Amino acid sequence: MTDSPARIPGERAAMIWGVLATILVVAATIGVFLVAPEDADQGVIQRIFYFHVAIAITSLVAFAVSCVAGILYLRTRNDRWDDVGEASIRIGLLMSVLVVITGSIWAKASWGTWWVWSDPRLVTYLIVVLIYAAYFVLRSSAEDDRKMRYSAIYAIAGFASVPLSFYSVRVAESFVHPVVFTGSGANMPDSMLIWFVVSQAAMLALFIALLELDLVGRRSERALRRLALRLENA
Amino acid sequence: MRRRQLTALVRKDLRLELRTRETIVAMVLFAIVMLAILQFGFGTRDDDLTRFTGGLMWVTLAFTAVLGVGRSYVAEREQRVLDGLLVSPVPRVVLLGAKAIAIFLYMTAVEIIVIPLVGIFFVKGPYWDSIGWIAIAALLANLCIALSGTLFSGLALFTRARDLILPVLFLPALVPVVIAGAGATHAVVGGAHDMSEWRGYCLFLAAYAILFALVSIATYDAVFDD
Amino acid sequence: MVTARGLVHAYGERRAVDGVDLDLVPGERVALAGANGAGKSTLLRMLATLIRPKSGDLVVLGHEVPDHARAARTGIGYLAHDPLVYLDLTARQNLELYGDLYGVDGLDERILDLLDQVDLLARAEDTVRTFSRGMAQRLALARMLLHRPRLLLLDEPHASLDARGGALLDDQLEAARHDGRAAVIVTHEVERVARVSDRIVVLRGGRVVLDQRTDGLDPPAVRRLYEEAIA
Repeated sequence: MTDSPARIPGERAAMIWGVLATILVVAATIGVFLVAPEDADQGVIQRIFYFHVAIAITSLVAFAVSCVAGILYLRTRNDRWDDVGEASIRIGLLMSVLVVITGSIWAKASWGTWWVWSDPRLVTYLIVVLIYAAYFVLRSSAEDDRKMRYSAIYAIAGFASVPLSFYSVRVAESFVHPVVFTGSGANMPDSMLIWFVVSQAAMLALFIALLELDLVGRRSERALRRLALRLENA
Repeated sequence: MRRRQLTALVRKDLRLELRTRETIVAMVLFAIVMLAILQFGFGTRDDDLTRFTGGLMWVTLAFTAVLGVGRSYVAEREQRVLDGLLVSPVPRVVLLGAKAIAIFLYMTAVEIIVIPLVGIFFVKGPYWDSIGWIAIAALLANLCIALSGTLFSGLALFTRARDLILPVLFLPALVPVVIAGAGATHAVVGGAHDMSEWRGYCLFLAAYAILFALVSIATYDAVFDD
Repeated sequence: MVTARGLVHAYGERRAVDGVDLDLVPGERVALAGANGAGKSTLLRMLATLIRPKSGDLVVLGHEVPDHARAARTGIGYLAHDPLVYLDLTARQNLELYGDLYGVDGLDERILDLLDQVDLLARAEDTVRTFSRGMAQRLALARMLLHRPRLLLLDEPHASLDARGGALLDDQLEAARHDGRAAVIVTHEVERVARVSDRIVVLRGGRVVLDQRTDGLDPPAVRRLYEEAIA
């Protein structure tokens, strides 16, 4: 595989997921803004919810992936799992920032202020952003095996902190966040639900595509470094 | 065997602390300064800070915890003893568990001074009759601080700029503890007596401790596994 | 006592130990020599289970490392550059701590006996902070011997031990030959160590370039061997 650097494993998968993600994102954008019915109470701003919630759920998926990757890294000490963990957290962190931004826009439209401390999920996501931003601070201050081991441990502890942050903020504050899903199911008409499902699928596909791309990038970088090393030795 | 190792390690930390008196004294002084700073920061507009008591107390204790936890491996690091412990057949869980016990005891010692001080400084109205409830919440919070603090200080130990890394790692994880500690304190201070709220926050602290105990068991072995 | 096959340890891209094979039988005392950065200390720390091999197989005292490192640790005595004792504890308190960590039986007598051997009995209740470097290292010697280890791993012991400590260590190494313990002695002073070892292993760039019995050779001859190997 090193002899034909034109073919990096996972390249094809990344391409397929990339195409799929593009199609789904385009479909979701069209559906959300042009097809889905306008919300009776909130008007046009409600349309942000399709992305806001889908991105939020996807970021949690990303953090869950990083936690599992962390456990697998500690078990196997295989650099691969460190790659998966870091790439997942990078994407998850980016998405969490988007959640905070879209949530803030929504808050401005609904309540007239950019930031509402009494909105538990928005505050939770701020904490989540801080937790996972610290992951990169930790990474940048250690090297090699230690860096990977610390990252794995922190990814596990960080993922434990997410539900804790969520519940601590919820215990603390009255519940003002719009409730979209209840215990009995989705609290919206089917014409909205279908576009939510599409945008959720789009975000998940986007996550997988970005993850695959990131991993392909790392593999090609390694192959390149090996090649350089071999040329040096020759 | 494990108990003998655990006792020996905790006794060692307490002996060192009794001999040098470095950590607890510094923590208490820091906490008092912090309370004074908070008073000057908030109190200029409002003489009665009773309704902020829980917040003042737990912000102070959280930062004091960061200070104390940051010193938790200072003897091992500065005197380079850690290899001696690591080459001995002590399970890493025991090694870090002993450190967690030490942190728990330090925090408790600091709170014995700080929690009454908060009452004297800030509370107008009933405080002392609910000090027992505050103490229970504080002990639960100390458990959370000890378990997560041990993990994060172990991670920060061999990083560059570890004094900077520790607060960056530790404080976000402490946010839930501050929220719950402050909430539980508010529920019982200054004439308030909302026991269901107090119970809710204490249960949350217990859940935090259990979750981090699980994380600890899963990861302590790997912290020093070079 | 030790079986190592293809041990590798890397710091980033740089391989500090690069495919080392090593076998140690009871009673064998190996001088591990090489220039600075040749990988001696890294190899010793791997044998001591302080760092895990990046690849290769390592069995120490019959236990696979790192999976069963804790079982191996009970029989390892490790002497480092640093004495690995707490400066603010007394000599006795330090040995008590380690005795408890190793689960030593009859600890009080054992501590008195060892403090006597290393000539620190009169200073048993003083903190290590008041000790000279040589005294602290003698305490480290007592710490290493406390749990009666079967494999001694010594990192340039003669550099930091005083004359008295050095003589004590030499006695131990001499005794090891007869009672079936084994020792690995990392050293710069090949001649000095040749007197108490019966085999030399020389590392260069993380690889073994010389591995030879030295029973019949006098120390200067061993040094000439070493110098040829690293030239």
